[in-house]
Amino acid sequence: MGKISGRIVVLILIMALALSGCGGTVGTETKNMNIITDNSTPEELYERALKEDTLVVYTVSTRVVDTKEAFEKTYPGLFVEVRDLRSPNLIEEVEKGNESDTPVCDVVLCNDNSGEFKSRLVDTGIVVPFLPEDIGNHMEAAATDGMVSFLNEAEILFYSTKVYEDCPIDNIWELTEEKYRGRIYMPNPLRSFSTYAFCASSLDHNRELEDAYAAYAGEKLKLEGTENAAEYFWKKVSVNIIFTNSSDEVTEALNDGKADFGWCVSSKLRLADVGYCLAPVYKLTPFSGCRTSYAVMMTNNCKNENSAKLFIRFLLGEKDGQGAGLSPFTTAGTWSVRRDVPDGNEVPLSEIDLIVPDQQRLIDEKEKRVSFWTDILKGNR
Amino acid sequence: MRKRKPIRVLTYILSIVCLVVICLAGCASREGREKLSVAIPESEHVQDPENNYYIKWLEEQTGFDIDIITIRQSSGTGFLDALFSSDADIDIVMFGEDFKITQDELSDYVSSGNVYVSGDRSYYENTGSSRSSGPGQILWINYNWLKALSLPIPESTEELKAVLTAFKEMDPNGNGIKDEIPMAGSYEEYSLSPAEFLLNSYIYNDPYHSRYGINEDADILYAATDEFRAGIEYCHELYGEGLLDDSIWDGNLKQLTEMCNSDQDIVGAFTTSSISDVIYQGNPEILARYIHVPPLEGPDGEKNVVYVQKDPEIGAIITERSDKKEQAERLLSLMMTPEASLIARYGEEGVDWTYSDGSDVSVYGGVSTITTIKYIWNTSQNKHLNGIGPMNVPEEYLEGVTWNGVNSDFEYINGRAYMSYEDHLPKVNGFHPYDDRMSEYIDTALEEFIRGKKDVGSDEEWERYLEGLSY
Repeated sequence: MGKISGRIVVLILIMALALSGCGGTVGTETKNMNIITDNSTPEELYERALKEDTLVVYTVSTRVVDTKEAFEKTYPGLFVEVRDLRSPNLIEEVEKGNESDTPVCDVVLCNDNSGEFKSRLVDTGIVVPFLPEDIGNHMEAAATDGMVSFLNEAEILFYSTKVYEDCPIDNIWELTEEKYRGRIYMPNPLRSFSTYAFCASSLDHNRELEDAYAAYAGEKLKLEGTENAAEYFWKKVSVNIIFTNSSDEVTEALNDGKADFGWCVSSKLRLADVGYCLAPVYKLTPFSGCRTSYAVMMTNNCKNENSAKLFIRFLLGEKDGQGAGLSPFTTAGTWSVRRDVPDGNEVPLSEIDLIVPDQQRLIDEKEKRVSFWTDILKGNR
Repeated sequence: MRKRKPIRVLTYILSIVCLVVICLAGCASREGREKLSVAIPESEHVQDPENNYYIKWLEEQTGFDIDIITIRQSSGTGFLDALFSSDADIDIVMFGEDFKITQDELSDYVSSGNVYVSGDRSYYENTGSSRSSGPGQILWINYNWLKALSLPIPESTEELKAVLTAFKEMDPNGNGIKDEIPMAGSYEEYSLSPAEFLLNSYIYNDPYHSRYGINEDADILYAATDEFRAGIEYCHELYGEGLLDDSIWDGNLKQLTEMCNSDQDIVGAFTTSSISDVIYQGNPEILARYIHVPPLEGPDGEKNVVYVQKDPEIGAIITERSDKKEQAERLLSLMMTPEASLIARYGEEGVDWTYSDGSDVSVYGGVSTITTIKYIWNTSQNKHLNGIGPMNVPEEYLEGVTWNGVNSDFEYINGRAYMSYEDHLPKVNGFHPYDDRMSEYIDTALEEFIRGKKDVGSDEEWERYLEGLSY
């Protein structure tokens, strides 16, 4: 190969490398394999954002409305439109937007524990993580691993304080007793990601459930035709459960005294501040629920990039964690992902009996687990 | 129900002008197919009626060419007056959304021979927009204000008073101005009057049946009881302390809507039969502001929820002047079938909804029968007419629809409130018929007592009121 040919090859390689950097994603710099960073100051982002259109945020949490209001007050001239959706619907809408010629969503806030968010939006590159370095330095490593999580929560068992002064159970198997027929509420696991994360993950904790059964019943569990302890447990307890559309209905049933127990997202504990009669079950053998977290991401085809970055900075609490955008989320039933911001909940996550979902396993075994839950739900009807 | 104000002359003139214009526009028709001229009210929820999926489906099923004439005014009687005093060639008039007509109003046009009557039928019903019965009034409260003042959701009339007092005194919207209206309302519908709601914490209060009892008490006038009087005294107390707003008697629905949707965040509580009566669709920020309050317990432990049974609305009429009455009947009869009604309510099967496999939960907590893929009701869409026209959705589907996952969806928000209220609904198997004169008398007395024009504490005044009931 002559000098000229060699130079051409080198040139092609350089161009290929350069072009590969142009592909698809928003942002000015990337850190590690995924995280987009942009060290523009809030003032610089604000100046550029003023030339953009209304920012559209898809969210599973109504609390972001408070963030929006504080954001618009802090940055006059910028406007945010919030669309409040349940997780599965949010994913569908973002996917549809990505396929259309006129995507509308700029920022996505979603529960990311069932594996659906990761497999359908993150792994496909439809949403991308943005994290400014001055904030990233204060975040827990787990909160910046491919996605940017801004909040830790839990799917956890609550009891009605209208019915009980103190929690009347200490072992999860007690919930299978006849006296709780129709007195346990739970969001439909096939419609609530956090509930699905808990229900599906429990299938990975059979040993703990077997031990708990032995402690409860004083004998070894007989599976009676089911495959494992978790399946046996859910088949037994589902007879007592009233499935709902959302955590809100669970909290309302607890507050009305219609329910003795209910699984829902821990952040609903904030409703106790306005008198809701509910309290979390922190200690339960072998577990009361599972850990969950919430991600904030930009869409890959985000039309209002600077507004989106400014909004995410704001939501994450800005450099010092004291920004008004994060405070709506630092309530009872939430735990901080920033090392410099205290938890919203008085009891730390580490002291609560929770399992941690294995997202990859949930993705890999999705068909089987969904099928199991579909059968359970049909049987319950 | 209270009636709306009569239309004005200007509206009438505009109606005639519009009719002439739309009839001229409607002269051009497609050849080879029989044409039916159908007048349909304009709707922000229907993008293009000419190319609407449901209209196309109806054309395909009947073989007719449906020529849409858009009605641009909201008064049903105004439009019919203009129509029947013109030569407009319209076969069918459809009603729905804000364009309504009552049976009383329609009877005038039937008697004057302008509306085609076949057998006993002078109109085609619409029974698909919502459930046919359930709680008639829900109390909504400003959640942000409760949070700002660290107050619990009230559970009793006593607690409500404390909350409303704090709303009035403690600047919950944080603007430094005493602009808060603790409890607002409107005279336009009973469901918009918080006073009607509060009386239910003292005795079962059903203004839709002239405040008589139900079942074996259907001939007992509850409005003549000591419990009713105690409820009025409570309302008067609230009014006297500035906690019940004058808008309850002086304000129309539009004003209440503007107050509740105001960016200034000035309303603490209000009542409706549906949150959509007052809050604008597609406004999650405002919707997040209000949450339902479960029925309040009165001082004697009373906690009632008024039960309402909705009469079918008028969906469509055929004009007597139509020379295609048989074809018009065929079209409207098709619209009344379950197959057509499900499209009319939920859109295209397989695209917007499917029959449920039973693993979902309905909005009302029961077994799902319809799973919505894309819930398009009350959104800008082109799949159906958003409740305009006749339909007859079987109750099992109205009860069994699943939630679309949008937290700010009205049907879902209402459904959650209804579940909280249903435990306190009476089982009703007998009503007293509505008595116009009696209702008007009690409505007036109620207002006078609550606003202090008459002294509810005076036995003499109360006796005079009771005497008036017996005339």
